[in-house]
Amino acid sequence: MRVVGRKVERKEGRAKVTGAARYVDDLRMPGMLIGRTVRAPIACGELVGIKTELGGPGFTTVDFCDIPGKNVVSLIAEDQPCLVEREIRHAEEPVFLIAHESREALLEARVSLECRPGVPVFDPLASPRSFKDILIEKGDVAKGFAEAALIVEGEYRAGLQEHVSIEPNGVIAWPENGGIAVLGSLQCPYYVHRALMTLLALPPEKVRVCQAETGGGFGGKEEYPSMLAGHAALLALKSKRPVKIVYDREEEMAATTKRHPAIVRHRTGVAKDGRLVAQDIEVILDGGAYVTLSPVVLSRACIHAAGPYRCANVRIRGRAMFTNTVPNGAFRGFGAPQTQFAGEAHMDRIAEALGEDPVKLRETNALRPGDTTATGQRMHDDCSALEVLREAVKRTRFPEKRWKWKGTGRGIGLALFYHGAGFTGSGEVKLASKAALELTERGARILTGTTEMGQGQRTTHAQIVAEELGWPYEAIEVAEVDTARVPDSGPTVASRTCMIVGGILQACAKELKAKLGRLTPRAYLKRNGPLVVTKSYEHPGDVAWNDETYRGDAYGTFAWGCEVAELNVDPDTYEARLTKFTAVVEIGKAIHPVLAAGQVEGGAAQGIGYALLEEAILRDGRMANASMTNYIIPTTVDTPTIETVILERPYRHGPFGAKGVGELPVDGAAPAIVNALRHAGADIRRIPATPERIMEALCASR
Amino acid sequence: MTSPFTFWDARTAEEAAALLSKKGAMALGGGVDLLGEMKEGIRAPEHIVNLRSIPGLDKIQKTDRGWRVGATALLTDIADHADLRKDLPGFAESAEAVATPQIRNQGTIGGNLAQRPRCWYYRAAEFACVKKGGKGCPAEKGENRYLAIFGDGPCHIVHPSDCAPMLVALDARLFLRGPDGARDLPIADFYELPSKNALCEFTLKPGEFIEAVEIPTALPRSTYVKIREKDSFDFAIAACAIAGKIDGDHFTDARVVLGGVAPVPWRSVTAEANLRKNTIADAVEPASNSATDGARPMSQNAWKIPMTKAAVARAIRSFLPR
Repeated sequence: MRVVGRKVERKEGRAKVTGAARYVDDLRMPGMLIGRTVRAPIACGELVGIKTELGGPGFTTVDFCDIPGKNVVSLIAEDQPCLVEREIRHAEEPVFLIAHESREALLEARVSLECRPGVPVFDPLASPRSFKDILIEKGDVAKGFAEAALIVEGEYRAGLQEHVSIEPNGVIAWPENGGIAVLGSLQCPYYVHRALMTLLALPPEKVRVCQAETGGGFGGKEEYPSMLAGHAALLALKSKRPVKIVYDREEEMAATTKRHPAIVRHRTGVAKDGRLVAQDIEVILDGGAYVTLSPVVLSRACIHAAGPYRCANVRIRGRAMFTNTVPNGAFRGFGAPQTQFAGEAHMDRIAEALGEDPVKLRETNALRPGDTTATGQRMHDDCSALEVLREAVKRTRFPEKRWKWKGTGRGIGLALFYHGAGFTGSGEVKLASKAALELTERGARILTGTTEMGQGQRTTHAQIVAEELGWPYEAIEVAEVDTARVPDSGPTVASRTCMIVGGILQACAKELKAKLGRLTPRAYLKRNGPLVVTKSYEHPGDVAWNDETYRGDAYGTFAWGCEVAELNVDPDTYEARLTKFTAVVEIGKAIHPVLAAGQVEGGAAQGIGYALLEEAILRDGRMANASMTNYIIPTTVDTPTIETVILERPYRHGPFGAKGVGELPVDGAAPAIVNALRHAGADIRRIPATPERIMEALCASR
Repeated sequence: MTSPFTFWDARTAEEAAALLSKKGAMALGGGVDLLGEMKEGIRAPEHIVNLRSIPGLDKIQKTDRGWRVGATALLTDIADHADLRKDLPGFAESAEAVATPQIRNQGTIGGNLAQRPRCWYYRAAEFACVKKGGKGCPAEKGENRYLAIFGDGPCHIVHPSDCAPMLVALDARLFLRGPDGARDLPIADFYELPSKNALCEFTLKPGEFIEAVEIPTALPRSTYVKIREKDSFDFAIAACAIAGKIDGDHFTDARVVLGGVAPVPWRSVTAEANLRKNTIADAVEPASNSATDGARPMSQNAWKIPMTKAAVARAIRSFLPR
């Protein structure tokens, strides 16, 4: 292939490297005001009154009475208000908005909220309310346990994780055409579009949403911009001027979504020969104060909970619980990192209980083509669990280090995992995404609603189109994301952009090529006038899912990974220091090998932070460490050399065989590290594995 | 949030002292700490007096009493000064341990010694704690995992400076300038426990500022060991500064000062005694274990005790022949 699989220049690379790229906070509009959000000081209670001492003229203020449509942030359930009316469900809940030309005047304005406190619930296990319950059943668990020679139980906990995108959330909204226009740092322009239609009672053509250059998303800009854009839009409509709101780091950390904390309980029956004969798994997610995306995060969490293993008898029960905390939401991995951390840490405990080698235990149980998952999804030829495992073991000389390092304070551990690409179950069918190609004088222009946020979507899409058309990469341009111009290609989430939207674009390119015949673009345009080819997602006939029974093909396919962590535990400080990290992934086809490796390295680094450092501490439902001084993420110095190995076994329905890669690498880092700590002598069942927890675990075992 | 202020470029130390005597005046070195405090709404000076405009105040020079380092000398320049590092290796190490290259390129030694604490409650404008003239310490029943294990309150901050403990160990003197002239004092006396003054960690009379620090070269062996959560840049969880003289396999003179564990640089005389009593190799255990004698951890920070011992042990081990 000429373009696919090559390291072509990133479409937006030059602008970013030279500083020409313009982010929301770089932009000014004439007459623009700055907006500020006044937030609830308590986690639970009632708003009694709002007192304002603005200290001068020129302010625009907004409360829920100014909302022309429905006071909700429209998503799965319409339960979350855009602005509090009376009931306060979490600290930092938005109550009141003010805007002013001068940032100083804005910050000096005093708004005090009078609240009547209620009794909050912070412990998900004590919560009376579940947003969603899921049950996945395969075979007969009781029968499985009856056959078991050994039963291993355990509870594993994972904490809150903040996205820490380099650019925080920000938007500018302005009145336009009798409606509203929004330009923002965001992942899902059509989510914002829909939310604004509901909030402002506007028809679709009166709402325009554009994406500014976006400095990272990781899920933190999936659902939250719908809230933020609503705020800016309300201020803009009332003041009849452009309004910009950009969060600072503290507001971004304290007020926006995070990764769901999870409690995962395993009870596993194992036969003498190491076969898993029963897996009984309970998943409890802390959903926070509103439904937001918790049901679908729980769904992905549960589907991935049994791991990439074949077991005839499986039961997975999941709940997403209400608590009086900031709603937890989308975060790279979307539930799968939590449950696969638990599952893979549990596998090493099973190996230990059996006196078995962790690699051998996984080899015995790993899914192979023809096997079925917990939902009954049958594996095809691109099931690569054994391949990634064997490659990782060979590359790292795992058995040798495992033996040599025993009792030395050094440790090596691995995790085997998978990640389903695209929306779960019938999600892609319901989304019915569209993408389009427009013929230009020089070639073609890609029109999609998917967003570039650093992952390289503009580049990989252009490669797919160029390859299919047989044209040079440079002949393909990518339109700016503007809902007035581009179709709804679904949200830029769920590792779906390359595999799903890339697939639609490939279909567009095929049709464009057929229409052109032997004509050059220029000649075609001259003879026939403008040409735009729009295609919709076509669901493969051999991928079927039942929403009622939770059975069938949960995803079109899975990407596979095996990650290996090598570390030592400092004998003085109990810090775990990674010396090497190896990621072997099978992703169908790496459309752009460097971008794909970038996804793997970035995801691994985020997983390393999740495993060892990152802990959002809540006190009375508020984040106590909402700053980068106290919420610690790994920097390059804390990150070891990451060796990335990409294997390719094409997915039959992916563009040039590509699967999703964005989320996969986060899933395995935490369990690989925790298993390496186990090898070094520390029994860790809760992440992050801070020095205190490692010390506690090591002292307990001595 | 920043309220309006008048910015003055001082041209001489005398002029700076006069300007700093104005109501609401504050001295500006590199601005690393002051600007952060202003943005966080903890401080709103009416006058900012720039000290970096005073010619020669950033000089690093060897005198007959040792090394004299002007208040506006950059941390980078201290860390990179080859001759100073030969005489005072621990001081150069402590300057290098501060934050990031960017901050060291901007931050001054004066600012480092007079920087304010990083306690979450102090830094959050909504808590009126004892350090800000209010009542009590919310950390006592709140988040205290990074706070002091020594000092006994009523405020439990840890002093954030890396250079201060090292300079206390090296027995440095601070030279202060004020409207009534100049004075100097041992740097250990510059810092005060909260029981004496909860509002501020150091003693400066109205209008006074740090003009220079002088470090004798009488203790030729020194080191600074800092334990932090992030390896790239972070404040100390615990740190240990040791300065002394070595004869063969043992210290003949030794000063051990802890950082990151008390509201002021915390000297451990028991550790020093253990260090002098034994050979260096044999001193590691008793000296590091006794360094935390008298520590009174709070609800969440007992883990800092082994971390402190680790810092001391590492510092002592660094003097062992390799």
